[in-house]
Amino acid sequence: MPATELLLDITLGVLLLILAGAALHGTRLYTGIISFIAFGLLLALVWARLGAPDLALAEAAIGAGLTGVLLLSALGRHADEPAQPGSAVRTLATLLLGVLVLILLLRAVLPLAQGPQPLPALVNSQLEASGVSHPVTAVLLNFRAWDTLLELLVLLLAVLGVRQLQPAGRPRPGVWPLLQAWSRILAPLSVIIGGYLLWRGSHAPGGAFQAGALLAAGVVMLRLAGLLPLLRWENGLLRLLVLVGVALFLTVAAAGAWFGAGWLNYPAHWSGALIVLIEVAATLSIAASLSLLVVGERQELGR
Amino acid sequence: MSGASLYLGLGVLLWLLGLHGLLRLRHPLRRIMAINLMGSGTFMVMVALASRSGHNDPVLQALVVTGLVVAVSATAFALRLAVAHQAHRSRQRPTGEHEE
Amino acid sequence: MTLALASLLLPLGTALLMLLLRLRSGIWVIAASLGSLLCAGLALHEVIEQGVQTLAIGGWRTPLGIRFELSSLTAVLLVFTAMTHLLVAIYAQHSRHSHARNTDYWPLSGLLHASLAALWLSRDLFNWYVTLELLGLVAVAMIILSGPRAHAPALRYLLLSLAASLCYLLGVALLYGRYGVLDLDLLAQASEADHSTRMALLLMTVGLMLKAALWPLHLWLPAAHSSAPTAVSALLSALVVKGPLFILWLLWSRVAPVDMTESAGLLFALAGIVALLAGGWAALRTPLLKTLVAYSTVAQLGYALLALGLLLRWQQSELSVALWLFVLAHGLAKVSMFLAAGEMQATLGSKRVASLKGATQTMPVAMFAFAVAGGSLIGLPPSGGFVAKWVLLQPLLLEPIHWPWALGVLLGTLASAAYVFRVVALSFDRADATPPDYDPDPFAQWLALLPAIAVWGLALFSQPLILWLSEASG
Repeated sequence: MPATELLLDITLGVLLLILAGAALHGTRLYTGIISFIAFGLLLALVWARLGAPDLALAEAAIGAGLTGVLLLSALGRHADEPAQPGSAVRTLATLLLGVLVLILLLRAVLPLAQGPQPLPALVNSQLEASGVSHPVTAVLLNFRAWDTLLELLVLLLAVLGVRQLQPAGRPRPGVWPLLQAWSRILAPLSVIIGGYLLWRGSHAPGGAFQAGALLAAGVVMLRLAGLLPLLRWENGLLRLLVLVGVALFLTVAAAGAWFGAGWLNYPAHWSGALIVLIEVAATLSIAASLSLLVVGERQELGR
Repeated sequence: MSGASLYLGLGVLLWLLGLHGLLRLRHPLRRIMAINLMGSGTFMVMVALASRSGHNDPVLQALVVTGLVVAVSATAFALRLAVAHQAHRSRQRPTGEHEE
Repeated sequence: MTLALASLLLPLGTALLMLLLRLRSGIWVIAASLGSLLCAGLALHEVIEQGVQTLAIGGWRTPLGIRFELSSLTAVLLVFTAMTHLLVAIYAQHSRHSHARNTDYWPLSGLLHASLAALWLSRDLFNWYVTLELLGLVAVAMIILSGPRAHAPALRYLLLSLAASLCYLLGVALLYGRYGVLDLDLLAQASEADHSTRMALLLMTVGLMLKAALWPLHLWLPAAHSSAPTAVSALLSALVVKGPLFILWLLWSRVAPVDMTESAGLLFALAGIVALLAGGWAALRTPLLKTLVAYSTVAQLGYALLALGLLLRWQQSELSVALWLFVLAHGLAKVSMFLAAGEMQATLGSKRVASLKGATQTMPVAMFAFAVAGGSLIGLPPSGGFVAKWVLLQPLLLEPIHWPWALGVLLGTLASAAYVFRVVALSFDRADATPPDYDPDPFAQWLALLPAIAVWGLALFSQPLILWLSEASG
């Protein structure tokens, strides 16, 4: 590998470590959160470097975007913590222990740079039969579709968990006019790019999750700009949106088990179409759930 | 030393940094960030493993996408729970300790 | 296999429908649990007739796809999960103190049921990670049903549970990097005792022990379980901590190379003995009733850990029968204990153990349920707890060099007897009985007694049960 690339990797690594350290130990909480958001952006760059553009897209929308909004809005509620008096002996002991564990972990991890990899070849050989031509999408929605179904349930559970919380009773801050103006342009753009990512997912990096996250970012922006009405859980349509991904997925799975070849078995000629259908439903659910998680208030989630 | 080994080591280091933060820090937001660092470290190990020996392993990349969704759901829930907890505490002690 | 899938799908579909249509009645969950129980029972019958069944999800064989395996143990666990949910659902529907009204208790309990069923059936390391996260999130969401007071323990539980998942996931990543597969059986064929495998197993074990609240990683459990609503505490103690234990057992008994199991087994067994004593001691000292019951969970998990350790140390697969008998007996007994404790606590208006003074007079049925369930925890014959302990003790008593372990079991038994008698003795002190705040609800008390009767009934089924469980472990 050329020396310049190695240099780039090392620089990226050092920057990531500095930002991570600042996120945890920065003197003010605000600095920590900003460092953490920058860490997420840089991480997206690393994923792209490592040949994982699907992840780079997801990380940029999630790690930097939605988590950032959540952290900053949580900051308003929290006091800066009192400085912790650290004793030198304890720090030294922690450091020694940390180095020891690190050496053990490195001894376990580094030999793995050469290990058997039977699965990539297998995925490629079965790609024809999967109904999509992008291998990551084929794994997510066909070979390991059960993981994806459960993952949608995890998202649903997070929304349900937030619903059980008592209201925070926080007054919404006044809307910043510039945000309003910008979001009128950016939100439609997020719909277009989201739709494009979803469509692209069957043959190139992209797919339901990336598209859903981007749509959610658009919804969050509109909501923060006060351009969107309150989304109420009482609204049947919203509940349908949150649930449609899991419900459709389960219906396909069960229909396969009772009428077809088996649980989550797509019929041979239909798999491409079914995967697209499931992806569209999953995108809608992911977008609705993530928006509720980030900007959902008592009025929206309330009973 | 190749790029993959470098990122394997970096992933482990981030994971450990996150674990240390979780055990040492007390503020809920810092602890949630620490857990996310652990997650990023784990994902980095997985992505570096996926990229070793030139060709990319789509299975590992798909696993990381799933892991990312799980992580963001759990983080969002944890943050909202931390906010609700803080709101409850400052309501009980209305001296306004949450104001900076 | 279709029946087992139906047993998973019924509660899941019901939960989704209840959310979509905003149905609030527990009748739906009771019906779904009953249906799920029937399906699981038929699945058990099928397994006994036809042997172990596997399902390649989506028709993709391992290593590409995810595999479900329905062994007799899995079927027994499906039955156990459905039965526990049914009993708790009937109680929650009836009781005034269940926090089931005007909350999402019912859909959440359906989702909990489905997550557990998915965990029992799966044999894929990464799929287990997702099911573990499901279990963790649903548990936290149910704990906070009891209001803002539960937020602090719930947050602590959530953060620790997330960290534990990431420990587990890093271990999974190492194993995948080393062997290139995620399926349990394929890993079992390939595994070797090298440094990467050791580290991976260590990481996964720490994560799973934290999630299963096994000593010494149990510190989050008492606060989290005791601050939850009563019905939720019962589900958490009876079922949720058993999920990670199941994975831990499969990992060590199938994947771990033989020369690692011996030393690890010793550590597990020692941790089990310490858990019995430390958990018992804490239960004896705590002033709060539900915390006492929660600490008793920590102690009782020590038996499972001891059985796991000795099974690994001596390579005796019969001991896994003891492990699962303990899990079943403890689960039923703990449901009964938590329901009785919650009912008494709510009616007598105090969380303290001391308020149970004279409870045999004011709430005789609930107190009886507590005592009967306690009898099984102590291991009085002929309860389910006794059968489990008997299966565990048999190989220990055969050889004199194993007697120190038997002594550990004896000490654990004394500790559990001590904390059960602490409560029972207090309740017979009728001189100055605590007056109840409400009229005691006799029907709810009888419902709390039901699982306790079931655990004594377990002894009647011990013969076939031992047979099914030993088939699964062989």
